[in-house]
Amino acid sequence: MQNKRIPISVLVLLSLALLVAVPWIASDYFVMMCIRVMYFGMLTLSLCFLASELGVVSLMQASFFGISGYFIAILQTRYQLQFPIPPLVGIGVAVLFAALTGLLVIRARGIYFLMLTLVLGQLIWALASQWASVTRGDSGITDIFAPLIFGISTEKSKGAFYLFELFFFCGVIWFLAALKRSPFGLMLRGVRDSESRMAMLGYPVSLLRYVAFIFAAFVASVGGVFFAYFTGLINPHAVSLTTNVETLLAGILGGIQTLFGAILGTAILKILDVVLSGITKRYLLVMGILFLITIMFAPKGAAGGLKRLWDFVASRTLGSRSGAPARGAADDPFYDNTK
Amino acid sequence: MSLLAIMSLLNGLTLAALLFITASGLTLSFSLMRVVNLTHGAFYMAGGFIGVTVIKVTGSWLLAMLAGGGVMAVAALLEEKYLLRWARGNDLIETLISLSVAIIIGDLVLVIWGGYPKTIEIPAMLSGIWTIPVIDMVYPVFRIFMLALAILIVVALWLFLKKTNLGITIRAGVDNFEMVSALGINVRRLFTIVFCLSGFLAGVSGVVGGTFMMLVVGEDWRILTLTLIVIIIGGMGSLGGTIVGALITGLIYSFATAYIPEFSLFILFLPVAVILSIRPHGLFGAKA
Repeated sequence: MQNKRIPISVLVLLSLALLVAVPWIASDYFVMMCIRVMYFGMLTLSLCFLASELGVVSLMQASFFGISGYFIAILQTRYQLQFPIPPLVGIGVAVLFAALTGLLVIRARGIYFLMLTLVLGQLIWALASQWASVTRGDSGITDIFAPLIFGISTEKSKGAFYLFELFFFCGVIWFLAALKRSPFGLMLRGVRDSESRMAMLGYPVSLLRYVAFIFAAFVASVGGVFFAYFTGLINPHAVSLTTNVETLLAGILGGIQTLFGAILGTAILKILDVVLSGITKRYLLVMGILFLITIMFAPKGAAGGLKRLWDFVASRTLGSRSGAPARGAADDPFYDNTK
Repeated sequence: MSLLAIMSLLNGLTLAALLFITASGLTLSFSLMRVVNLTHGAFYMAGGFIGVTVIKVTGSWLLAMLAGGGVMAVAALLEEKYLLRWARGNDLIETLISLSVAIIIGDLVLVIWGGYPKTIEIPAMLSGIWTIPVIDMVYPVFRIFMLALAILIVVALWLFLKKTNLGITIRAGVDNFEMVSALGINVRRLFTIVFCLSGFLAGVSGVVGGTFMMLVVGEDWRILTLTLIVIIIGGMGSLGGTIVGALITGLIYSFATAYIPEFSLFILFLPVAVILSIRPHGLFGAKA
């Protein structure tokens, strides 16, 4: 907190202006990379939101991501419905599905939650892969076209698609940031840190967790909309365990506690994806090893690592001891509140 | 009952037998160590592929089964000793480590054995078909053998846990872990043994499963999903629950494959949802 001289709002406005300017100043390739980071970023954000605010690791966020994508594909290619309807229905169904599964998983904690979401996510994957008459099986649905926005085809212009997505991406970030600061977010944090105390104080603990689960699914499903529109196809890979693990890896790489970490992690992973695909076909192997190393040696991720480095430097240069990372609940990336 | 229904019933029972062998190892290691070993499916698949190779070289199915189980027991030993022990006490990190190991093994299997589906040839002694009296229909002997093997493993595990010193120590560790370590029993060694046993069972079931179903890349996650469903339904850490869970899962999956193939796996959402809403810890699960 050294640079208090520049107000945060100015920084936010500056970076926002920079983001809006990207299509004019950067190459097409960079714009496409940003588009990809943004929609996967929303998926990672939803996982990180659950991890940081509920203290649980979900392996089914890609299901919500994929459900909205699949509904867009089906409604658009089969029933020729016009633009605002398919994504709205897609997000609606994903949220409904979250409301249903939330009832099952929300009582679970720690590894139970992980295991249950893994199973439910795999069942969705099985549905996408086996229900061939609707989802066209493993080959998936192609020819999804991005819509016209204000008369500009976002299918043809990547810049327009970028701005279209950026608008919703910033919306999602603002939504999550506001949620974290809201009384609802504070109550959630209270539940995470001491569930029994919050229950004693009369807060509807289960309801809070349930609503948070649905919010997270909503964020993931918005990401799914842009995924389907940008890639133009959706297949079971989008809801596979690989996608779920990639999301988790992105979250852990960036640091699960912050919104910024989620985006940073996604960016790191997507850049790595591009680099690796040029070198090796063993993407999964490398990803698995990377995952193993991160979880064993740096479970707080890059953002956490940067923060620790900063704390170290600050405490050295300023001579204060306050920078030392505190050991405790809030600092643990997967704080387990059953203990 | 139609022929298809009888066939589905029998197939469901044999699948349940396979799922029991797989799930018993997982539930055993879970109840002691509080780690859901997500590598279990990968152990199943790798064990099966090792069986494929061993049978190609030696021609002996029994040897293939022992090799599949043995190599996976060693793999489990290494995983427990060098990776999981690193994060002992943080069960979530341990589970995530096992997830990453599963991904690594899954891709290594693809590198070594390739992406084409393989099956293990049924040993000559068990390759016949058996005419079931009364209803007069034929059924492969190997599937009957699988049922017998599952029952044998149930009995062996039960005897091991009830009668041997080691088994009694393990059960004590499940019930009151602190007390067992306070009594001076080497808990680390106990963990390693149970984890090895669990890996062995996964490898064995991989060879058995590879003999009556296909072994193909991606099978690891399918088996892991089914196994986890068995445990969720039956309750974590209960051998009796694992039997009931395996029967429910095997029968539903088998009937669904016959009658509504497009939803054969997704239909399992139903029992999971129903049982979890009535009993959050599974049918026989104790509150953890």
